[in-house]
Amino acid sequence: MTPTVALLESSTLIRQGAEAKVYKSYLYDGQISGSDARGEPILLKYRFNKQYRHPTLNSTLTRQRIAQETRSLMKCLRSGVHVPGLRMVDAQEGVIGIEWIEGESVRVLLGAEDEETEGTGDTSDLPDLEQLEHDPLAKFNTTSSHVMRLIGTEIAKMHAADVIHGDLTTSNMMLRQRSDEGTEVLIDFGLSYVSALAEDKAVDLYVLERAFASTHPDSEPLFQTVLDAYSKINSKEWKAVGRKLDEVRLRGRKRSMVG
Amino acid sequence: METITYNNFEAKVHLALFTSVENGKEIRERIIKASTAEGAEGDAAREAVNFAFVDAKLIASPRHLLTATYQSLLAESQESLKTKTVHSEIIWSLNPTSNITEALRRFGVNDNSSTLLVVRVVKSSENLDVEKNMKEVVQGNLVPLSELENVTDWSLISKYYKLNSEVAVTGLKNPNDTKRHKIIEELVTSFVAMKSVSS
Repeated sequence: MTPTVALLESSTLIRQGAEAKVYKSYLYDGQISGSDARGEPILLKYRFNKQYRHPTLNSTLTRQRIAQETRSLMKCLRSGVHVPGLRMVDAQEGVIGIEWIEGESVRVLLGAEDEETEGTGDTSDLPDLEQLEHDPLAKFNTTSSHVMRLIGTEIAKMHAADVIHGDLTTSNMMLRQRSDEGTEVLIDFGLSYVSALAEDKAVDLYVLERAFASTHPDSEPLFQTVLDAYSKINSKEWKAVGRKLDEVRLRGRKRSMVG
Repeated sequence: METITYNNFEAKVHLALFTSVENGKEIRERIIKASTAEGAEGDAAREAVNFAFVDAKLIASPRHLLTATYQSLLAESQESLKTKTVHSEIIWSLNPTSNITEALRRFGVNDNSSTLLVVRVVKSSENLDVEKNMKEVVQGNLVPLSELENVTDWSLISKYYKLNSEVAVTGLKNPNDTKRHKIIEELVTSFVAMKSVSS
């Protein structure tokens, strides 16, 4: 058994998707003076072997995607975007370890059902939905329009650094539980890439707009608040991105390749 | 000295912080000499300095160093070490570039090192008095790792990792701002974690 496989076996499975499994884990046992026992919890994302792919192709793809995801995260960290920090990378086995974010997804906070409550694995860590349903935002001492401003701010900072998330949905945003004020953290950079094109940034925003419309029908007007915050932070690019966004709304995410 | 266990590597890692170190130059010379010594005497000389001697002022937190240690253990297990031993790999992992000489010069023990973080990786089956061996090599005061925060040279870390122009810290100009230190600590820890896929 390789060390990384042993680490996965000692971890708790939280989620499983088509591309990867997600675990909660600890890298070591024992205590360092001035820090917690066992260190901090981390999140492991395991891009498991896809049996339907040729082994060589599989390992090349896994390696590439891990490199891409970690580089995007690093670029975001350097640019002051709130994203999980990196803790370990094993490109050979397809595992990355990132900072554990204690908090709640924006999807749940806006009153939608958790995406995979019926999913496999251990869901006992997840908060009781019924208890939260009254007003999930109250726990964070915040309002939905404030959360929208935080979202717009983080996306603007990310785009200013030329990182395109590729899968902006309210499931891929978390509100971090902090005593002071909430911080909004962008997660899952598995589909991210680097681009300076206004077109790519507009499509990123459009994908989020569609996600809002389909998951949170009542909060659709709130998306304007996201854009307002975005235009303030990334004012330099907003004119071009905003114009592109209008174009993308008319034609959809895919560009017409005719002619 | 403090010890943690990596069950998945079947290894223990011992860490000790020494301040007021007086014999940095001697340690460096001993390591160089031991590396080419032959026979049983050579083995003994190598065993006596079989540690990673890291200049503690370039370490932002225990987590920063442990991330380098984890990635080095991983490289060793996959036979992809860039240097000769897991201990030199720890020093290499900390350096932002892949230049081994530069890594050793900056992050390793040198003539003016006054504080050292000494790391020893021990496979769980081995039974050694690591603390005694550390004290035999290093002339200095053994202090708890929590003292590291008084040792870290944040501006030198920022310089070596080229962080001064990063957007994440440009808003925090005051070099003594603890918020700035926290961000730098996160940046260097994350960088060390992803060094294997950084370019």
